[in-house]
Amino acid sequence: MSLFFQQVLNGLTLGSVYSLVALGLTLVYGILHIPNFSHGALFMAGAYAAFFASTALGANYWVALVFAAVVTAGIAVLSERLVFSRLRDKPPLHDMIAAIGLLLLIEAIAQAIWGADFHRLREPYPGIWQWLRINAGLVMPIQRGIIIAGAVVLMIALHLFLTRTTTGATIIAMAQNREGASLVGIDLTRVSMITFAISGALAAVAAVLFVPISLIFPAMGNLVILKAFVIIILGGMGSVPGAILGGMVIGLVESFGAFYVSTDMKDVIAFAALVLILSLRPEGLFPGYAR
Amino acid sequence: MLRCEGATLDYGSYRALDGVSVHVEAGELVVMLGANGAGKSSLFLAISGLRRLKAGAIRLGGRDLAGAKPSAIVEAGLVHCPEGRKLFPGMSVEKNLRLGAYVHRRDPARSEEILDEVFGMFPILREKRHDPAGSLSGGQQQMVAIGRALMGRPKVLLLDEPSLGLAPLVVKQVLEAVKAINAAGTTVLLAEQNAFAALQIADRAYVLENGRIVMEGEPATLLRDEGIRRAYIGA
Ligand SMILES: Nc1ncnc2c1ncn2[C@@H]1O[C@H](COP(=O)(O)OP(=O)(O)O)[C@@H](O)[C@H]1O
Ligand SMILES: [Mg+2]
Repeated sequence: MSLFFQQVLNGLTLGSVYSLVALGLTLVYGILHIPNFSHGALFMAGAYAAFFASTALGANYWVALVFAAVVTAGIAVLSERLVFSRLRDKPPLHDMIAAIGLLLLIEAIAQAIWGADFHRLREPYPGIWQWLRINAGLVMPIQRGIIIAGAVVLMIALHLFLTRTTTGATIIAMAQNREGASLVGIDLTRVSMITFAISGALAAVAAVLFVPISLIFPAMGNLVILKAFVIIILGGMGSVPGAILGGMVIGLVESFGAFYVSTDMKDVIAFAALVLILSLRPEGLFPGYAR
Repeated sequence: MLRCEGATLDYGSYRALDGVSVHVEAGELVVMLGANGAGKSSLFLAISGLRRLKAGAIRLGGRDLAGAKPSAIVEAGLVHCPEGRKLFPGMSVEKNLRLGAYVHRRDPARSEEILDEVFGMFPILREKRHDPAGSLSGGQQQMVAIGRALMGRPKVLLLDEPSLGLAPLVVKQVLEAVKAINAAGTTVLLAEQNAFAALQIADRAYVLENGRIVMEGEPATLLRDEGIRRAYIGA
């Protein structure tokens, strides 16, 4: 039984990271209808930004996390201003090609600065939750608890921001009716920039939460972004609750797949789940509130 | 109050507006008649800054609106209630209305008063204030759209075919609301295909055909005109 719960915990950890990445992706898609393939590069950029802050600037983990969120939000906004906003009236294919171009560019820059080697960000609180081990026999590294708690806090904050603030309402308004939003005087440029900033910050935080239990390298965003696409397709493109639930589903499927089937198969299982669910429910699992 | 001079607008090689000159004086209710595809919506979208004119000028109370952002135009007192309503369907009725006051977000007290006036004008909206706007009937959605526009505190209100797709009884109700809004001091430019009903409440009317103004006059004159009767009234 505790092995089962162990997998649940592992799945929730992975799912938290995936959900945060997918949330940014789904917001950008919901507002601008851009499938932002360069989102994975933002995840990677966030990890390197934190690595830089903690090694070159000697920042502690939490300062590095905030630094990474700010820097990555800036990169995301720049990419919106310099690339995507200029392709607004072009066919969707242009957005996709530009996004892939950006992905390769950001990756190449990271590789030029930090090389192709793996880097690590040390765990801020090494060790495991003793309480869980003693009372439930579960091995839960503290960092995994931080990942889950961090993701939950961010999701609640994002939800409150979108549903309770005027700026949040402008984002949802733009997703639901672009022209209607313009006509009430919402500045679509501003909303686009805010949305990209949020998506970049979420990707960066996801990465900084995750890297203490994994590795930093230039291509680290690629598999994550593919899975995030799986998640938002599952969850319904543009759906916020869908991104969260979809992320958890994929995290759990992967963790159980790795344990009960084979570790080598975990990525295959995630994509197989996509194919299976989509053939049963082409509209995704949860068409939700942003659309 | 509102003045378009030689407004010309192209979609690619297609000329949707060809030198349109119209004016609406303060306090007037002016109707823009025109068949489907005549260019009514294009004119309204150009006035509210969502389409760029190829040539010509649009002035609001003497101010040139060329190059102004849609948000600046709303702030200047020109609000456009679009064809097809363009609501935020997943948001509550109340939230739709409140977003109408977006440009006045620094002055929430006055917006509360206007919200109350809108609910007074359309009591059903108060009842359904927490329902998603997309779940309402067509007539009720039109009321939300008009209410949302009023929340923008228009001096000049552009209404694009508010009666489109509504049952005759509801059309009457909506046009009566438009008349009341005008009587309360808001200048109105109303696009309609439903000429007979619209001319009942108008001070003056234009007829737009293929992107050109082909006639202007008092409602009584237009109602007597043989061509107008045949084209827009079917009698
Ligand atoms: N975005 C657009 N792109 C190309 N043509 C358009 C566009 N919008 C409208 N048109 C064309 O412009 C003409 C005028 O349309 P519109 O202004 O919507 O007329 P109305 O509101 O009077 O029905 C129509 O022939 C329509 O097909
Ligand atoms: Mg029209």
